[in-house]
Amino acid sequence: MAATFFGEVVKAPCRAGTEDEEEEEEGRRETPEDREVRQQLARKREVRLLRRQTKTSLEVSLLEKYPCSKFIIAIGNNAVAFLSSFVMNSGVWEEVGCAKLWNEWCRTTDTTHLSSTEAFCVFYHLKSNPLVFLCQCSCYVAEDQQYQWLEKVFGSCPRKNMQITILTCRHVTDYKTSESTGSLPSPFLRALKTQNFKDSACCPLLEQPNIVHDLPAAVLSYCQVWKIPAILYLCYTDVMKLDLITVEAFKPILSTRSLKGLVKNIPQSTEILKKLMTTNEIQSNIYT
Amino acid sequence: MASRYDRAITVFSPDGHLFQVEYAQEAVKKGSTAVGIRGTNIVVLGVEKKSVAKLQDERTVRKICALDDHVCMAFAVLTIFVGLTADARVVINRACVECQSHKLTVEDPVTVEYITRFIATLKQKYTQSNGRRPFGISALIVGFDDDGISRLYQTDPSGTYHAWKANAIGRSAKTVREFLEKNYTEDAIASDSEAIKLAIKALLEVVQSGGKNIELAIIRRNQPLKRRDFTTLPRLASNS
Repeated sequence: MAATFFGEVVKAPCRAGTEDEEEEEEGRRETPEDREVRQQLARKREVRLLRRQTKTSLEVSLLEKYPCSKFIIAIGNNAVAFLSSFVMNSGVWEEVGCAKLWNEWCRTTDTTHLSSTEAFCVFYHLKSNPLVFLCQCSCYVAEDQQYQWLEKVFGSCPRKNMQITILTCRHVTDYKTSESTGSLPSPFLRALKTQNFKDSACCPLLEQPNIVHDLPAAVLSYCQVWKIPAILYLCYTDVMKLDLITVEAFKPILSTRSLKGLVKNIPQSTEILKKLMTTNEIQSNIYT
Repeated sequence: MASRYDRAITVFSPDGHLFQVEYAQEAVKKGSTAVGIRGTNIVVLGVEKKSVAKLQDERTVRKICALDDHVCMAFAVLTIFVGLTADARVVINRACVECQSHKLTVEDPVTVEYITRFIATLKQKYTQSNGRRPFGISALIVGFDDDGISRLYQTDPSGTYHAWKANAIGRSAKTVREFLEKNYTEDAIASDSEAIKLAIKALLEVVQSGGKNIELAIIRRNQPLKRRDFTTLPRLASNS
């Protein structure tokens, strides 16, 4: 190990090959206890889809059980607040299931008594048109759980005659551009779509070399592989917690085909959104 | 590229960025919004009060501070810092000491520009020292000088300072600044009540919970500092 000028400790490359080989061999030997611990951890991190009312697991994937023509997925608290106030407020939505998962950032244990502020992943369909689905995902789905989540929701052989819309947020400092972040008009929207999505987006497409991360990326990749038309609307903002201006930045999506017909009363929705904001959390003492 | 040049404050990147200073400016955006307006006969500072924990004493959560209070002349130099609370406390203490030291030495109170330059110089020193990090705060400093002219200055973590007619710092400052650019006119600031209304309306663009969490500090020429909170704001705002 060596210390750099700035005080970081980094592993110095070792030219004496024999030392490293011995260490690696020791690491490869796995005891039965290690195997047991690994299996327990895998069971704990399993993604389960269940119905909260009956407390039973779904035996098949969600979209195999319920046919779907339109699926809107909100990932992150600002996207969830947007759908809650503008879309869910305009119709009667029935809960069809929820995804229970555990990881270091999302330690949900009790699935029956959930408050509206709990980090969770809930699925709804529109009572007047059960082919329209909505997902509110405010928990973090870790990398090793994303494929399981996709399988449990879409199944191993998804139908292609549906359209997926994903809404999510990202911090503006992740946006790679030659301009300085201070001059960017944040919050702003960018879109990324699969090859089979033929409609136009309501905002510019995401420029290279920017990439999408986490669950939204997993869903888009899955849709691209299975040739499902899907579009992701990504809002770059400098306020990642629940924020009125960030949520309102999603408003251009209301005029797209994805959400047309699902939103009825926009002024009332704005009032509901303001009420959601007033129940915000106590601010940290670190920042004034 | 940024990851190789952003670990130390004293290292420039090849394209001329001091990343730690730019990251300090991001820390400022985590603070609540503050707005400052310079009228002809009045200066107004407005801030979004943050919600405090139930058991926390609200009086100890102060946002607008007087750097210097001239008892006989009833002037004051007011400031609001946005960003890291602890950094703000340290800089305010140094600035208050400097105000008194200046008065003892030259027997005159500081001008607004003098104390702003002092704060900005202090911040700049911390962008050029090894082993230290920049202050994660921006400040709005307002007051009246001896010549009776109102002043508003803004400083940022890099140590720059500029005079402004109206400005905003903190979360969603850009939205507030755009509102001010559209609505700040000479007519709007000619009257004291119009300047106060402009500050309130600018904050209402971004404050999440309406007027309940707005605190104002007002200095009129030759008058002592006045503070206002949400109980008196509806009367002020309704005079339109």
